[in-house]
Amino acid sequence: MAYADLLPGEMRRKLAQKIAESETAREQAIDVMTILQGHFGYMSDEAMLAASELLAMTPLELEELATFYNFIYRQPVGEHVIHVCDSAICWMHGHESLLDHLLSRLEIRLGETTEDGLFTVLPVCCLGYCDHAPAMLVDRRIHGELTREKIDRILTKLIEESHSLPGRK
Amino acid sequence: MCPQVLFSNRKPGRIATMEEYRQSGGYKALSLVVGKWTGKDVCAEVQKANLRGRGGAGFPTGLKWLGVPQEGAYPRYIAANCDEMEPGTFKDRILVHADPHMILEGMVLSAYATGAEKGFIFVRPSYESGARILEREIQRARDAGYLGRNILGTDFSFHIVVHRSGGRYICGEATALLNALQGNRPNPIRPPPYPTVKGLWGRPTVVNNIETMANVPHILRNGAEWYQGLSRSSGSPGTKLFCVSGRVNRPGCFELPMGTTLREIIEEHAGGLPPGCQFKACLPGGASTRFLTSEHLDVAMDFESLAAIGHRMGTAAIIVFDHKTCLVEVTLNLTRFFARESCGWCTPCREGLPYLGDLLRRIEAGEGEEEFIPMIRTMCGHLWNAYCALAPGAASPVESLLTNFEDEVREHIRQRKCPCKA
Amino acid sequence: MPRIIIDGLEIEVPQGTKVIDAAERLGIMIPRFCYLKSLGAVGACRMCAVTFLQGPFKGVQMSCMIDVQDGMSVSTTHEEAVAFRKQVIEWLMLNHPHDCPVCDEGGQCLLQDETVSGGHGIRRYRGKKRTYRNQYLGVFIAHEMNRCIHCYRCSRFYQEYCGYRDLGVLQMADRVYFGRFEDGQLESPFSGNLVDLCPTGVYTDIPARHKVRSWDLNRSPSLCIHCSLGCNTVANARHRTVWRVEGRFNEALGSEFICDRGRFGFGHTNHPIRPRRAKEGSSFVSLKDAMKSAAEKLRHIHATFGAQAIACLGSARNSLETQTTLRSFCEGLRLPEPHFFVNPHVKKKVCGAVARLDERVAVSLNQVAHADFVLAVGTDPLNEAPMLALAMRQAQRQGASLVVLDPRPSFLPAPHVHMGVAPEALNGVLGGLVRKAMEPGERENTALRSRGFLQSLPGEPFFRAFSDEQEKVDAVLSGLKKSRNPVLVCGTEVVRESTPSLCADLALLLKEVKGRCGLFYVLPGANAFGSALLSGSGESTFLDVIQSMERGFTKALVLVESDPFVHFPHQERLREAMKKLELLVVLDHLPSLPVQTSQVFLPTSTLFEVDSTFISQEGRVQWSRAVHEGGIPMEQWTGGTHPPRVHSTVIPGRDFRACGEILKEMARIVGGKGKVFLPDPWSFLERGPSAPEAPSRGNRPADGKRLIPRESSPELFPLQEGHFTLREETEHAFELLVVEAVFGTEELSAHSPAMEKWEWEPHMWMHEQDAFELGFSQDEVIGMDLDGGTLEVKLKVCPAMARGVLVLPRHHRLQWQKFSDFSMRVPHDCMRKS
Ligand SMILES: Cc1cc2nc3c(=O)[nH]c(=O)nc-3n(C[C@H](O)[C@H](O)[C@H](O)COP(=O)(O)O)c2cc1C
Ligand code: SF4
Ligand code: SF4
Ligand code: SF4
Ligand code: FES
Repeated sequence: MAYADLLPGEMRRKLAQKIAESETAREQAIDVMTILQGHFGYMSDEAMLAASELLAMTPLELEELATFYNFIYRQPVGEHVIHVCDSAICWMHGHESLLDHLLSRLEIRLGETTEDGLFTVLPVCCLGYCDHAPAMLVDRRIHGELTREKIDRILTKLIEESHSLPGRK
Repeated sequence: MCPQVLFSNRKPGRIATMEEYRQSGGYKALSLVVGKWTGKDVCAEVQKANLRGRGGAGFPTGLKWLGVPQEGAYPRYIAANCDEMEPGTFKDRILVHADPHMILEGMVLSAYATGAEKGFIFVRPSYESGARILEREIQRARDAGYLGRNILGTDFSFHIVVHRSGGRYICGEATALLNALQGNRPNPIRPPPYPTVKGLWGRPTVVNNIETMANVPHILRNGAEWYQGLSRSSGSPGTKLFCVSGRVNRPGCFELPMGTTLREIIEEHAGGLPPGCQFKACLPGGASTRFLTSEHLDVAMDFESLAAIGHRMGTAAIIVFDHKTCLVEVTLNLTRFFARESCGWCTPCREGLPYLGDLLRRIEAGEGEEEFIPMIRTMCGHLWNAYCALAPGAASPVESLLTNFEDEVREHIRQRKCPCKA
Repeated sequence: MPRIIIDGLEIEVPQGTKVIDAAERLGIMIPRFCYLKSLGAVGACRMCAVTFLQGPFKGVQMSCMIDVQDGMSVSTTHEEAVAFRKQVIEWLMLNHPHDCPVCDEGGQCLLQDETVSGGHGIRRYRGKKRTYRNQYLGVFIAHEMNRCIHCYRCSRFYQEYCGYRDLGVLQMADRVYFGRFEDGQLESPFSGNLVDLCPTGVYTDIPARHKVRSWDLNRSPSLCIHCSLGCNTVANARHRTVWRVEGRFNEALGSEFICDRGRFGFGHTNHPIRPRRAKEGSSFVSLKDAMKSAAEKLRHIHATFGAQAIACLGSARNSLETQTTLRSFCEGLRLPEPHFFVNPHVKKKVCGAVARLDERVAVSLNQVAHADFVLAVGTDPLNEAPMLALAMRQAQRQGASLVVLDPRPSFLPAPHVHMGVAPEALNGVLGGLVRKAMEPGERENTALRSRGFLQSLPGEPFFRAFSDEQEKVDAVLSGLKKSRNPVLVCGTEVVRESTPSLCADLALLLKEVKGRCGLFYVLPGANAFGSALLSGSGESTFLDVIQSMERGFTKALVLVESDPFVHFPHQERLREAMKKLELLVVLDHLPSLPVQTSQVFLPTSTLFEVDSTFISQEGRVQWSRAVHEGGIPMEQWTGGTHPPRVHSTVIPGRDFRACGEILKEMARIVGGKGKVFLPDPWSFLERGPSAPEAPSRGNRPADGKRLIPRESSPELFPLQEGHFTLREETEHAFELLVVEAVFGTEELSAHSPAMEKWEWEPHMWMHEQDAFELGFSQDEVIGMDLDGGTLEVKLKVCPAMARGVLVLPRHHRLQWQKFSDFSMRVPHDCMRKS
């Protein structure tokens, strides 16, 4: 368990318990990856190897799952991942111009991460908040009825929060 | 106000507590049934009520449950589908946030009916808050003896766990969901064998939408006849959660009798279209249904009436488009959605949808050719021969675009630009 | 049996037959990509659409997904189906690169065929093509993902059929990718089949890559001779070079798949160091002169010292033609009977197995794949007969339990129970298991003689070693009790001499009780079966020959495509003995040690250059056709340029002949005109009282013909003393088992450049506990001071193998032959870390 040993003991214990409680280890693959992703920031190769050890799967078998899903990131992402809904209803409610606004504020293109490593913007299909369109998900928290001002407020808050964290300027 | 059944405890900004649910008659069905009825009785009552699945296909729920073979292997499983990724659909989210115990009770009853001992609620990532609510309430229900070992002191035990998805539309398809739950790639598996015979880990498994589940306690408590009486239509009993979104004043989710007219839903409940907007079309049941035009606005929203005019109830998610919205662009958006969410198993969907998307994009961008129209038509026809229902669903809006709005499409090609754009 | 009408033709097929297969029986080949009979139907490509006109299904449906039912009528040419298939082809071609001119699949590409037959010729799609990055998949297979049409055959074969877990499906939607987690050698020793089963050129065979176009190749039905299973193959050659070997379907073997040893092991035939020129002493001569000289030298020895001074050694890699001719050669010249085995124990075991295999119990590989319980005794399927491992896996996938009783670590790619049983305990454990699994009722119902046999089987003591593995024993017992169609698989390399016949007895006993039981032997070498048939009845062994050489009685040795150094445990001793010979004649195509010291060397043809016959381990006679004339490969001859600049009327490097032909010619010379009687090769096979009719030249069934008697030896259950004794525990010595590995041990394939690239270090396995007790650990180099010198090898420890044994894969570069005798004991006190 060379890679799993890199995990904090507490997390490892919890994961092991979760896996032991399920019908088969594989069943927990997504949860384990989500948790490791929270720890490592994204599913790095090391994280994949650690997860595959815990789940008694081969790295390939885990990769078969990791690369299928929207919410498992196999490439580095920013501290905050913003999933902007681009499906029909949000689109009708001005998704395109809001996305443009978001991207130009962050000075990145869709799919990219800001230079300071704070934000990644990714497209996502209908989030199930069509009654609050246009909507986006920031770190799995929903924000609906978006306007440019609302987006600015959300970004400002997140930037401020991160600056107040120790070790950041 | 129409009678509220599933939303009887819905309150703005707040989740009904277990106590509130109980006071409104919650968990009564459980004590009525568990240890007293046979599983078969439960199935029979649900079938008598003619409850039809709310996940999109409208399959009779009682019949599905009876499909679990008497001699089928144990353990058996229940999978409650809260993946809800059909664009325009958000009723499951509202339901979880309104009254989670109704779903749990429904699941326990379905487990009792089919002899299952473990249930999973499959939740999409953007419903993380819903997943947490469910986990919390599962614990409460367990503490109260409605769930877990020896439910209500009987020898019937049933456990529920929340399974979080990694997020993909196809995971909502019943057989793909089962694959996803087991930690396999979520490709669908074409029946037979049906999941009720061979589902999770090869054991009998019932997959139902959570709204379907939520109906069950009411049916068992109040009887099939009462349930039939809730509806305004004869063939589709009960009430239905309708989601309305798009160009309306009050987008939202409304519990209304089956058979309420589309016009009433849009104009009265969703507050009609904003000023200056005229109704052009709507998708009556989510992204994988056909565009419905104003000539059919008075259709009763139930399975039969929609089928009679060549439409589908789908998830009863009504997406309204106004006269200024370019339907080619809408269709392109939908096609891209389906292409992106294709699981990649079969050729028509994996290759055909991006191809369709390319043709639609060219038309929208003013690069269209007349010959694209017959090409699209034929290709849509071929999509029906895909492996699962995703591709036919994807074909539906495109086909109906050509049926109902061929002129608009031709106008794009003739003007070499989108006529809706200034 | 249901009947169906397809395109107006009616056919009756067995229940469960897919419409696509029913059509094939009628000669109607419905287009397909994802469907492969051995892999089953998954309905992914949608290419096999046909129109159902009558019956329970209507309209366009996939013919691979629907079982034939009565009343069905189907049209494969109905316009709807044709239009849909045309559409599917267009879809599949959207992203396919137009690199057919440089694609190795070109000319034998299903996608090309279906594109043409589907009538898709003009591109309508204007979008960009999707592209992928390729991966390095190792030394055998190249990856070109852009060509993929996503039929999922590769991942299904790799994971489901073979049980390996390092190649699969990544991504989704139109980005689906087939590959590995990261670049690296594919772990499956069956990976080469990806080349055959991929309907396009995603996986291509590296040795043949960019060397030759498929339509230029000579192709012929051939055989794999790298183990005793005799998988069927297609050999491909051009420019005096064998480029590629593919799998070929054989009903009895049950699949079209072969292992990578079989696919990439052919390189010895092209190898630059293959000895191609006849030699007398150290000078090259023509084959004709060499034959003459060898014959004359033999005649001289014959005349001077008598026929008894001449010994001949064939081998299990000889074709049946070679073996029978060698036998007649000896008979005609009144020489002692030829030997085919270096190791007398192996000879006994193989002859014992062959003698006991009869129609009552013998099963084919395909039948193993359909058993409901497979008990493998003293064999390591993956390493000794790779495709057997896959057959066992198929049985397991259909619900069979698999049990392996074997001293070695087990690598079977399927869930199984492995009990690490030392060779001397195999009989006891096996007998004990069968006895214990027998229900009391079954015991009483057996015939008197079998009951006696049953009672003589051992009881508890043999399980004591497994007392902490009671679960395993119980699992085996319950599996065997439940089984209605068990198969016993029995090895012949590491087992004791009595094990093969004990297995035959037990198979008969189980058959008596269960109504059915199969017996499947694994033999050492492609034609070990023939070797046994032709070994004659004499008691003498090759060990006697060596002693006789040492004493100076045997003056001449003829090595007929055989190399005694491979199996003889003491290299020095053999070398010394051979020095005493007056004449060493070597006939071979491998650059063996004796080739260098021979007085006369006679180059022979390989499998690919002459029609030949081999008998597989189940007694199946199979034929291989020559694919080319041979000669120095063009690339080597021209130094890489093409076409050749030097022209001649003879084929360079073609001065060799089939081994049998050379023997005949020599016999003619030695005996003088008319004096030598050379019997028909087949007559040897027809001698036994119950031997069946041998196939004639004109009668060669495609799947071969099983040549075993209806009933073998009448003396059933000849239990002997010592069958069930255990080794004294006081002995402080290991038994060294020299064993096969998938790659790098078998003589022919070890000389294949493709194989040589698959590098692995020689190593030796030891039980974890044994290692612990001796203070050794993983990866240490262990030195063993043996009679023939010091043997040094890296140690690998394993918790799941027999105690008291050392397992040493016969790595072709490892010189392990330092033992005084075949029992190969290694006393603990001669072992140390070095
Ligand atoms: C592509 C696709 C996506 C689907 N997504 C969902 C979903 O998100 N939620 C759901 O309940 N059913 C979904 N379904 C329908 C399910 O396959 C299944 O019919 C349903 O969950 C059964 O429950 P019901 O009988 O209660 O409706 C989907 C079907 C398809 C073909
Ligand atoms: S239609 Fe085919 S590719 Fe599309 S989601 Fe279904 S199975 Fe997957
Ligand atoms: S690589 Fe070949 S075998 Fe595998 S899916 Fe692609 S086309 Fe099929
Ligand atoms: S299993 Fe044996 S006969 Fe078959 S291909 Fe492999 S080495 Fe050749
Ligand atoms: S061969 Fe039938 S769908 Fe592929």
